[in-house]
Amino acid sequence: MSRRNGTDGSLLASLPYTLGALAFSIAPHVQYLPVWVTVTFLSCSAARWYIEKRRWRLPPAWLRIALAMLCFLAILFSYNQTISGVGPGSALLAVMGSLKMLETRVRRDQFVLLFISIFMIMASLLREQYLWSLPYLLAAVLITMTAWLRMSQARDVSLLHSLRSSSRLLLYAAPIALAMWIFFPRISTPFWSVPIDTSSGRSGLSENMSPGDISSLSLSDAVAFRVTFDGAVPPPSQRYWRGLVLHQFNGRSWTGREPLPDPKARDRISATGDAYRYQVTLEPTRQHWIFALDIPVDWSPETIKMGSDLHLAYTFPIDQRIRYSAVSRTRYSVDSQLTRMARDWYTRFPEERNPRSIEYARELRAAAGSDERYINTVIRAFHDEEYFYTLQPPVLGRDPVDQFLFQTRRGFCEHYASAFALLMRAAGIPSRIVLGYQGGELNPYGNHMIVRQSDAHAWTEVWLADRGWQRIDPTAAVAPERIESGMSGAMFGEIGASWGLNAPAEWLHQLTLSLDALNARWNEWILGYGPENQERFMKWLGMSKPDWQKMFLTLIALVTIGIVVISIVLMRRNRPPPRDPAAVLYGQFTRKAGLPPRTGETPFDYAQRLRETSVQQSDCVDRVTSRYLKARYGTPDEHALQELEDAVSKFRRSA
Amino acid sequence: MSSIQWQFPRLPGVLNPTRLREAAQERVGRWAQKRQGKDPRNTRLLSKRIYILPTGIGLIFALMTFAMLLGSMNYNNNLSFVLTFLLISAGLVSMHQCQRNLVGLEISFAGVDPVFAGQSAEFRIAVTNHARTRRYNIQLYFGRIRSDIDDLEPGESRVFHLDLPTTARGQVSLPRFGIRTLFPFELFRAWAWLHMDLQGLVYPRPADHAPLPPPTETAHGHRQHDARGEEDFAGLRKFHSGDSPRQVAWKAFARSGDLLSKQFSGADTSSQWFDLRQVEAADFETRLSILTRWIVDAERTHADYGLRLISDEIPPANGAAHRHQCLEALALIDFDSGSLS
Repeated sequence: MSRRNGTDGSLLASLPYTLGALAFSIAPHVQYLPVWVTVTFLSCSAARWYIEKRRWRLPPAWLRIALAMLCFLAILFSYNQTISGVGPGSALLAVMGSLKMLETRVRRDQFVLLFISIFMIMASLLREQYLWSLPYLLAAVLITMTAWLRMSQARDVSLLHSLRSSSRLLLYAAPIALAMWIFFPRISTPFWSVPIDTSSGRSGLSENMSPGDISSLSLSDAVAFRVTFDGAVPPPSQRYWRGLVLHQFNGRSWTGREPLPDPKARDRISATGDAYRYQVTLEPTRQHWIFALDIPVDWSPETIKMGSDLHLAYTFPIDQRIRYSAVSRTRYSVDSQLTRMARDWYTRFPEERNPRSIEYARELRAAAGSDERYINTVIRAFHDEEYFYTLQPPVLGRDPVDQFLFQTRRGFCEHYASAFALLMRAAGIPSRIVLGYQGGELNPYGNHMIVRQSDAHAWTEVWLADRGWQRIDPTAAVAPERIESGMSGAMFGEIGASWGLNAPAEWLHQLTLSLDALNARWNEWILGYGPENQERFMKWLGMSKPDWQKMFLTLIALVTIGIVVISIVLMRRNRPPPRDPAAVLYGQFTRKAGLPPRTGETPFDYAQRLRETSVQQSDCVDRVTSRYLKARYGTPDEHALQELEDAVSKFRRSA
Repeated sequence: MSSIQWQFPRLPGVLNPTRLREAAQERVGRWAQKRQGKDPRNTRLLSKRIYILPTGIGLIFALMTFAMLLGSMNYNNNLSFVLTFLLISAGLVSMHQCQRNLVGLEISFAGVDPVFAGQSAEFRIAVTNHARTRRYNIQLYFGRIRSDIDDLEPGESRVFHLDLPTTARGQVSLPRFGIRTLFPFELFRAWAWLHMDLQGLVYPRPADHAPLPPPTETAHGHRQHDARGEEDFAGLRKFHSGDSPRQVAWKAFARSGDLLSKQFSGADTSSQWFDLRQVEAADFETRLSILTRWIVDAERTHADYGLRLISDEIPPANGAAHRHQCLEALALIDFDSGSLS
C-alpha cells in the first residue's frame, strides 16, 4: 500500500512546470470562479509540491474520494444546481485539476493535468476574447508545451533550454496553424445551442423597466455595438437606436413580450426621408434584440426578423458578437389605422395607482382640446417647470409616477418616459415605451461609431390618428444636451462637479478612441472571421466562387507543403557536423590505396599494413601519414592542410 | 463468511491477449528482419527503417483536439480555433520531430559478460549521437525488457543495458532489439528494430548444496606451491587463455606463429581434478551445477584446479581466464555426447 501512495521526488523536474502551466491557464478564470475554488487549487498545488519535495506519501484514496464528492457538491451549490456552461464547467475543471494533483504519482499522470490546462485555456477564450487574449493564448500554449516537453526529457535540462525547444516547436507549428485558421471553412449555424455563463455580469438592456427601483444608474463604458455607415451619418438628434418595446404597465413597471416575428410588420411602415445604410457589430447580449436606427426598412441576414411592435429580433439569443447590416429611414409613418382592440391595449393602465397623475392628465387634456396640443403642453411642462435630469434619483414609493411628477421631480430617461407614457394613456392616447440606445460617438481613427452601454435610453411612441406612431422623447425636453451631445456631455457637469474634477484629459480620450479603433478591427477581422469575411477574403486572394471543398483542398495542400518544409528543416538540423577536412583527405588517400582501414586502426598501423600488403611508395605513405596527423591533431593550421592535400594528390597506387 | 471471487474465464490459448500480442510481436519482428536483413554490429539508423505510430496519449490528444474543433466551430470562436489549430499543428510537427529524433543514431554492440544461469545477461549496446542536436528520451527494448531512458548530447555516446533473464546454461541470444523514443510529447512512438543476432554465454547455475570436492592431489611434489611448477620441461601444448606469458614458448611462436605453452612435469603443485564422470549426482545438469560450484569455490581460494570432461580436459590452473575456460566448457557441453559411464 505504501508503495502505491509513496512519492520519490522523481517528479521534481517536471511537476513544478506542470503546476505552473495549470496555474497560468486558471488565472484568467479567477475573477469569475468562486473564491473557494481558487483556494482549493492553490492549496492542492502547494501541498502536492511539498509532498514531492519531502517524499511524503500522497493522501489516501478515501480522503481523495471524499474531497472530490465535497467539491462536486460545492460546485452544484455555488452554481444553482447546474454544471453546464462555461462558469460551472471551468470551476469543475479547476477542481478536477486540483484533486488530480493529489493522485499524480508517476510522470504520465501529469498528462491529465496538462489536458485540463488546455481545456481551461479554451474555456477562458469562450468566456472573453479581448485584444490581449491572443498573446495570452500564445503564452499559455508555450508554457503548457514547455511543461509537456520537460516530461519527456530524461535528464534535468535547464528551463531556458526547454523553453527554447518548445518555442521552436511552436514556431514550426505556427505557419501550419495559420493556414488552417484561414482556410478552415467556417459555418454560420451552430450544431447545438450554447449555454453561456450569465453570471459574468455584462451589462445590457433589461427587458422591463421600473423607474424608481434603482437609485443610481451606473455609467458603463462598455461598448454595446459599433456602426459603420456607408455614406451619410445621421445627426446626433436622429441617433435613436430602436430596441425593444414595452407596452404593459402595472402602475410601477413596464413590460413587453417575448419577441414574436410578424411577417406582415414590414408592410405597415411607409417611410420617406433620407436612407442610412450601415453595418452593426453587436456585442453579445444573451438576448434576442437587434438595434437599428429608427426605423429599419431593410436588413440582413435572414436570421433577423421583425416583430409586430416593429422591433427587430435575432432567432437565437445573441451570445457571441454578430454583424448585420440594415437600411433605415428617419421619417416614417406606421399604422395610420389602429384597431379598437389595439387602441384598448395601448391605453390600458391600472386606475388605482398614481391617482394624482391620472387626474392631472385628464384635466390637462380637457383644457388642451386636441391630442397634439395636449402633448405639447406636457412636453412644455417638463421643459419649463422644475424638472431635473439626474442619474442619482431618489427611490420612489407605491405610486412612483405621482411621486416623481409632483414631489421629487428628479430622474433620468426612464422616469420621464414612464411618466409621459402614463400621462398619454390617462388622456386616452395610445402610447408605448421604446428601449434602446441614443447617441453614438464617431471614432475618427476607425471611421465608425461607438455606441456604449451608457448610451442606453428610453423614450416613448404615441399614436395619433392619421399620423400613426410618432416618436416623442420627453427627456429631450428636460435635458436637450443629453440628446445633442450624448451621455458624457449631459453627465459631466453633474459628476465632475460632485467629484471636483475637470473634464478628462483630451489625450486620454484620444488614446481610448484609437484603442477602440484597434479593437474594432480586431473584432471585425479576427474575432468576426466568419463565413462572410472568409468568403470576402477568399475572393480577395483570387479564389473564384469560394466553397468549402476548395478551401479544404487548399488547406490540405498548404498543410502538406508546410510539413514537408518542416521535415526538411528538421533533417538539416539533424545533420552531423561537417567532417574534418583532414579526415576527408585521408579518406581519399585510403580509397586511392585500395585498402580500407580497420576500425580502431591508427594511421601508423595502417601505414605499416599498407607497406606490408603491397609494394607501395612507402615514403609517400609516410608523408601522407605524418601530414595527416599534423593537420588533424596538431594546432589548427591552413598550411598543414595544404601540404596534406599535395601529398595525397601526389600519391599513386603502384601496380 | 466467504467472499465470492469471480474469475475471469480462462481463454483458450489462441485467444489469450498476452499470447496473441506476443505472437503478433514475433511475427512482426520476423517480417522486419526479412525486410531489413541481418544488421552488422555497428548500424546507422536510416529514416526508412524507422516506424512511427501514435501512442494511447496521442489518440486521446487527437480526440481532444477534435472535440475542441467541434466546440470552436459551434461557438464560431476564432481564438479557440487558433488554439485548436496550434495544437493540431504542434502534434503534426511533433510527429516529425519524434521520427527525426532517431534518424542518424549509430547503434553498436558493446559486449555481454557471461552469467550463471538464473542471472540476467546484461547486453551492452552503445548509442552514439553524431548530430549537432540533442536526442531525447531514448530507450532500448526487447519484448518486455527495457533499458533506462536517457537523452544524448550532441556527439555523445551512451551504453544502454538490456538485461535478459536466463534459465538454462548455454547461449542466451538477443535476436533483435528495438530502440524507441517518445520525444517530444509522447503523442507518437518512433522505433526501429535491429537484428544483430547477439549471443551471450550462460554458465551452469552453481549448485546450492554440492558435495565436497575431491581431495587435493599433490603430484611428485614435496611442498605446496601456489605457482606452477617450472622444474622439468615436459612438452608443449596449445595455449589456453589464462596461461602465464612466461609459460608461452615464444621461440616456437616466432617460428610457426602458433601460440604454445610449455608444460612442465614434476611440479610440486597441489591441484584438484574435477571430473564430470566422478560427480555423484542423478542427472547430467546437476553434475554440471556441482562442477560449477566447485570451480567457483576453488577460484575463490586461489587453488589450482583442472577439469576433466568426457573427451576433453583442462589442466589445473587458476585465474579469471582459466575459470572462464572451464565454465565455458561446462556451459557448452553437449548432453548427447556425454555417454556417462
